Amino acid sequence: MKFEKKRASTKQEIPTASMPDIIFMLLLFFMVTTTLREVEVLVNYSLPEAKAIEKIENKRLISYIWVGKDGRVQINDSLVKLDEIQNIMYAKRQALPNVIVSLRVDKNSDMGFVTDIQQELRKAYCLRINYSANVKI
Amino acid sequence: MLKKKKLPEATIPTSSMADIAFLLLIFFLVATVIDVDSGIGMTLPEFVEDVETVEVPKDRMAAILINETGDVLLDGEPISLFQITNTLKPRIQSKIDLPKNKKLIVSIKTDRKTVYNAYIQALDQVKSAFFEVRDEYSNSRFGKKFNDLEDTEQNEVKDAVPIIISIAEPEKVNK
Repeated sequence: MKFEKKRASTKQEIPTASMPDIIFMLLLFFMVTTTLREVEVLVNYSLPEAKAIEKIENKRLISYIWVGKDGRVQINDSLVKLDEIQNIMYAKRQALPNVIVSLRVDKNSDMGFVTDIQQELRKAYCLRINYSANVKI
Repeated sequence: MLKKKKLPEATIPTSSMADIAFLLLIFFLVATVIDVDSGIGMTLPEFVEDVETVEVPKDRMAAILINETGDVLLDGEPISLFQITNTLKPRIQSKIDLPKNKKLIVSIKTDRKTVYNAYIQALDQVKSAFFEVRDEYSNSRFGKKFNDLEDTEQNEVKDAVPIIISIAEPEKVNK
């Protein structure tokens, strides 16, 4: 007796024509839902250039302080005064104990002002800082 | 009688379209650089009200002073900004074999009116001096550059060539 498998007479093919559409849909979905947390920078600044720079691997730990050409200071999304820095940064440090503060300071700022900010950071115990700089070619 | 020729079936093979889309997706995933933060890392000292002054022997210190016009003094002698690296390197190297509490301390002091850029340039020079010494030291010991070393080896080099930079507070100038 011969055994014969019963085969369905229907087509055995997966329709692949719509596959790219599905992938594009996925791509679009991720493109739309992903938000690169981008803070709107309200101050105008240009960074100094340096050679001996290191990259910060852990982007999650960074918190920024911007200092503009006109000496305005921005943290998060708002401009702050010098004496407010301590409280803001202290709260940040409590939320994230090993926070790295990236100082994006305009290259023509006065050192005295930068030192004042550093003093505030020291009072807030944010001791790991990073002077943001562009790579010198 | 003119008879219309039967057209062959005109289809574009679409099964590979998905692969093309995937390739595109992967290409852009790999090629996109979300701007990496880079800069000069520092650790600030803790804030204390009364600062105890500790005398440091003179040969252990390299004091860099930058004034408001951007002139640089290294241990009391005027020097060009770009010579800092080469001047500091032999001094760091001479202290490699010394114990931990005898390594070179570089102190950078600025004026309140000094331009931030000048300070960063000086700090950059000091850092590159330390990095170059580290590279040369690890090259002579392990035959590799500092960044290619294993973690334990890196720590060994870090112990031999620690980066000690002190940022002195600018003096208050009475107006």
